[in-house]
Amino acid sequence: MIIRAQSCSSGSATLLFLVLLMPPVKQALEASLTAQVLVQIPLLIAVGWLLRAAVPERILARTENWNYRGIAGLVLATLTAAYWMLPRVLDAATTVPLLAVAKYLSAPLLIGLPFALSWPRMGFIVRGVLLAELIATCFRLGWLYLASPVRLCNNYLLNDQQRLGECMLAIGSGLLFWLAWKLLWGRFDSLKSAA
Amino acid sequence: MSVPTLYPEDERLTRGERVVFNLYIITALVVFVLMMLFGLVMRMAQGTWLSLPPTLFYQIMTAHGAGTVGTMGLASSAVMWFFLRKYVRLNLWAFLTNYVLFTLGALAILAAVFIGGYAGAWTFLYPLPVHSMGEWTVHAAVLFMLGYIAIGVGFLLFYLDAMAGVIRVYGNLGRALGLQWLFGGEIDPVHPKTVVASTMVIITNSIGTLAGAVVLVMSIINAYFPELALNALLAKNLIYLFGHTFINATIYMGVIAVYELLPRYSGRPYGISRPFLWAWAASTVMVLSVYPHHLLMDYVMPHWMLVMGQIVSYASGLPVFVVTAYGALTNVYRCGIRWRMPAKLMMLSMYGWAAGIVPAIIDATIRINEVMHNTQWVPGHFHFYLLLGVLPMILALMFHVIAGRAQSLADATTDKLSFPIYAVGGLAFAVALLAAGHVSAPRRYAVHLPQWVPYDQASSIAAILVIAAMLLFTGRIIAGLLRAPAHVDPAHPAG
Repeated sequence: MIIRAQSCSSGSATLLFLVLLMPPVKQALEASLTAQVLVQIPLLIAVGWLLRAAVPERILARTENWNYRGIAGLVLATLTAAYWMLPRVLDAATTVPLLAVAKYLSAPLLIGLPFALSWPRMGFIVRGVLLAELIATCFRLGWLYLASPVRLCNNYLLNDQQRLGECMLAIGSGLLFWLAWKLLWGRFDSLKSAA
Repeated sequence: MSVPTLYPEDERLTRGERVVFNLYIITALVVFVLMMLFGLVMRMAQGTWLSLPPTLFYQIMTAHGAGTVGTMGLASSAVMWFFLRKYVRLNLWAFLTNYVLFTLGALAILAAVFIGGYAGAWTFLYPLPVHSMGEWTVHAAVLFMLGYIAIGVGFLLFYLDAMAGVIRVYGNLGRALGLQWLFGGEIDPVHPKTVVASTMVIITNSIGTLAGAVVLVMSIINAYFPELALNALLAKNLIYLFGHTFINATIYMGVIAVYELLPRYSGRPYGISRPFLWAWAASTVMVLSVYPHHLLMDYVMPHWMLVMGQIVSYASGLPVFVVTAYGALTNVYRCGIRWRMPAKLMMLSMYGWAAGIVPAIIDATIRINEVMHNTQWVPGHFHFYLLLGVLPMILALMFHVIAGRAQSLADATTDKLSFPIYAVGGLAFAVALLAAGHVSAPRRYAVHLPQWVPYDQASSIAAILVIAAMLLFTGRIIAGLLRAPAHVDPAHPAG
């Protein structure tokens, strides 16, 4: 049963990756900054998340030694994600083949996979810090894209980056309300059982 | 409900806990005295009794504001930690990390101010930090803001740890706040008031800190990339959501000492009730929505927010204050309480809270705010509230703890002197500021007109009284904390 779920998950990862590699899909998702940041990169990260099921148990056990409470994996994932937040990198990834390859490899392997390996090991506080910083980052980036008086990318227009800014503010607000609702009325079975 | 004991077993500190708790308290006391001295220097300079270059005045003003607000937060979080750990599991490392990050942040702030020359006030209102007129570098302004970020991260870790502990025991924050009993059902009579108050603070201050984390990073980016101009009104809103919530939360953490200690000194149980839960639930919302009263002079604010700021200001402080003050008064009424230092300080704090919010409510009225907000009326309000409200709550816990470590529970001779000096000096100091505000003496001016000088001189004398009393408190408390814990009969009856 577990093996079937694992192969299903890794199959989904492969399929999703191949779909994202298809020229029409790639072109469509890179046609706008908003789609690249909010659809393409998150889907590449999802590929890495799904790949976790394909990682053999002995390798998983080995990573536990250097991934105490998921902190090492989280640091790797967030540093890589921070790099892919830079507008000039996003811009270059659509025109420079080497950077395109880097994006297609690093988003799944250096963000999605380490994050998937680390999330279950993270305690409440580490998850809390991560979510708080994620919300704050959405607000900061949204504000920056809206405040920028000039185009930050050669390939994308000003209205596109402003639309991205608005979307990031909306995502930050949505995450904040979801988190507040979860904390006030949600269930935390893992914490309760740890008591 | 049984009569509470003065020193319950579950409040006993382990060796590690005692070391960290002592670090908090001793640091807070020393910094409080230092900040009070800064305040005295400023008032004496305004009162022409001391020559102080204006640039140094504004540096001291910045350090005084940031240092006092931060230290109030640090000391009141120690109150929350001390009592909350009885009900939920708290990690000592989180409490210690908060202290370490606070210390690093405070050092960064002091370096930014006294080495870098930063003097843009504790509110770092955009674009003042980057418009220094050559008085400080952009790096000094950034260092100041990095200091705030370090302090904010420390508090966030402390609150997340407390949040985990509360959720572990109560399921979620809503249940810890007692929301399930707002409209009916039998209230658990042993549901701790400490948990209710702590949960409210965790929610509000986490959101406030998040707002601070956004605006601080944006201000730092703007400092190095000025072409990325910020929306000044949005920045101001976020700064006050952060700053107002942070300083407001200090009284909600401090009041935990009253809930926990007052019944022990009165010898009478202090139960939980539905109005109490309603008050804290309402305050959770209102503390977050009241901050626009800091922006009533900003005519570009959306009109509805200004109206909300006025209305919520009228209502915000009242629910929790009314249930607390009424509860405290009925708790001590004809109970035969012995007026030891903690009890005296707790009742002083009720007075300071009650009287201290009145000038704030007056100032939150838009028509009055237009002429009063930039006067010393506002420092009059918050000095009243902090000196006679929050600080006595914190001191009450400190005196309670040192009495437990001493051989005798009786007050020392110095306490009989220091308490009235502190109360009279604090009251006179706040009233002098309010009176100066009443005659339109502006706030944040290094040099005053001759007609304002008498108020400055009167408040300087009052400040000397407060500092003298605070020095006596500090000496007593530090000596008491450093003493090895004595055996105190945990069954010792209150009163």
